[in-house]
Amino acid sequence: MPTISRKSTAVAAALLLAASFGAAADETCNSPYVGSLIKGQEDFVYVWTLGIEGLGDGSDKLITIDVKPSSKTYGKVIHKVSVGSRGEAHHMGLTDDRRFLWAGGLDDSKIYVFDISKAPAKPRLVQTISDLPAKTGYVGPHTFYALPGRMLIGSLSNSNDGGGVTGMALFNNKGKLLTTYPLPAEGGGDGYGYDIAINPKKNVLLTSSFTGKKNYMRDLGDLVKDQEAMKHFGATLVVWDLKQMKPQKVLSVPGAPLEMRWSLKAKDNWAVTAAALTSKLWLVKQDAKGEWQGQAVADIGDPAKLPLPVDISITADGKGLWINTFMDGKTRYFDLSNPEKPVQAYEKITGKQVNMISQSWDGKRVYVTSSLLAHWDKTGDDGEQFLRAFKWDGKELTPAFEVDFLKEKLGRAHHMKLGSKALKLAFQDAGH
Amino acid sequence: MPAISALALGVVLAAAGAGVEEAALPSPGSYTLQHIMPSPEGNVLDTKGKRVRLSRFTSGKVTLLSLIYTRCGDGTGCPLATHQMQQLKGRLDAEPGMNGRVRFVSLSFDPANDTPEVMRAYGARYLPNASGLPWHFLTTSSRAGIRPLLEGFGQDVWMRADGSGDGALPHVLKIFLIDRLGSVREIYSTSFLRPPVLLNDIRTLLMEERSAPASVRAAR
Repeated sequence: MPTISRKSTAVAAALLLAASFGAAADETCNSPYVGSLIKGQEDFVYVWTLGIEGLGDGSDKLITIDVKPSSKTYGKVIHKVSVGSRGEAHHMGLTDDRRFLWAGGLDDSKIYVFDISKAPAKPRLVQTISDLPAKTGYVGPHTFYALPGRMLIGSLSNSNDGGGVTGMALFNNKGKLLTTYPLPAEGGGDGYGYDIAINPKKNVLLTSSFTGKKNYMRDLGDLVKDQEAMKHFGATLVVWDLKQMKPQKVLSVPGAPLEMRWSLKAKDNWAVTAAALTSKLWLVKQDAKGEWQGQAVADIGDPAKLPLPVDISITADGKGLWINTFMDGKTRYFDLSNPEKPVQAYEKITGKQVNMISQSWDGKRVYVTSSLLAHWDKTGDDGEQFLRAFKWDGKELTPAFEVDFLKEKLGRAHHMKLGSKALKLAFQDAGH
Repeated sequence: MPAISALALGVVLAAAGAGVEEAALPSPGSYTLQHIMPSPEGNVLDTKGKRVRLSRFTSGKVTLLSLIYTRCGDGTGCPLATHQMQQLKGRLDAEPGMNGRVRFVSLSFDPANDTPEVMRAYGARYLPNASGLPWHFLTTSSRAGIRPLLEGFGQDVWMRADGSGDGALPHVLKIFLIDRLGSVREIYSTSFLRPPVLLNDIRTLLMEERSAPASVRAAR
């Protein structure tokens, strides 16, 4: 168990200017093709939770929290599915039809497929894919991005040296591996991977870059003292031809660009990403000649204090962006009305450490969780683990409820997805 | 006539068209379409009510197959799919040699309403004459008949849990591109349903056939 205080973490992090952090993806973006099917008040929040040795069963688990205000169990954990082992649970993604939730472990490289269609409150583990490294050479399945009938998985590392050179693996929705796509390690590319973001009408796929397993599984206190290791963080964003699945251009984005979001507004064709170490917000769009370019457009907090932006969530109209900064525990809201000049409009300390952030489909509620990585989380009194729900009226975040993941013996709360029971399958047998 | 709002469909079509000209698409044959999954097998009914194996309509030619229901009123769903296929058919019919190599299929997942007669009438609206490449409008005899096909294609079909919705069957629009050997090679949901892309993908499969070794072509 790493022991690193908030103060020492901040000091240590201040020693480095060439590293990065990890985070996740947000609900409004990761199931981008079925937005019109479900709207309004969500019923559940699923939380992919890292097990903690000695806490409960110690295993990674998928938690269901009832978030419907009129429910008798509002704000309570109503279901949990333990996967029976601890493998650094991190991110998950819905299939294109929202019937299945794929979740990955950064340490054991296992991929778990949960059925959420038949009983949305009670996800059921229906498949475990354990041979990703053996079949692809990639480890650390991170981003799960739905394509029609398929799941594109972006990894963080490789089984050869545990470094950051990695790639993407394409599965069909039944769990069969179709092919792999290595991240470009030449022509300006560093070969590193992190997030995936697709714009079908522009035939463009973007990938961002983080670091390899030997860094993200290492105690943060040790890592930041290792100058050689700290050189091995991503500094690129790759523009791909989506149909060809071939890299077209490598953009230089220093400081580990993590989550990426295309504007969800129909006619917009720009994306944003936050570079963790440099604490800058970047805009990706075409120039007058049609060339894709990256441009730093705003600071997130005071970069000199290394607030470490770790997750973002874009509003449905593309005019606002939530950003969590891990070190200072702040949840920030940026006005994106002019994406060339984003302006911070609001901030609030929502925890001693905050990582993931997901807003509701209607933008009226915001959910925040606490864990970054098992070996990078704060400890002691600063090592709180939670999901906190807030109401957002456009001006102020008001606490709605909180689930204490340590008190409930659950683990470290990481990635979230929203669930609904508004629909039920018309053909119950047409499943996985 | 399905309760589709002409305005809604118009908005969707306009949105679908926006930016297509700007997107730089790779040329046909310059990319590989993955073998996503085999096309499922099962019994279907043609417009005369004759029971036929689905594979008769998913092999031997490049096939574009949509799963629909005729009562669908979602402007981003079945009406969009059928309209786009109609437009695409016009393009393909203008190209020599397509007739014998490409077919379209619209298969209903609502057998309770979509009888062979209903499918024939539905098809007649989009296919006023029989010229050009074939377009088959199929259904099944029962929910038990469509169920394995939905499972095989990975097609979701929902209903409102509270019973509202007037019997609507919300689903993710999916059109399947299937090669001569019955392998699903591409799937288009609303965001990906762009005629220039479909046209290129069909041409890519046809080019793939031409470049296949003679022994493989003979086997087909």
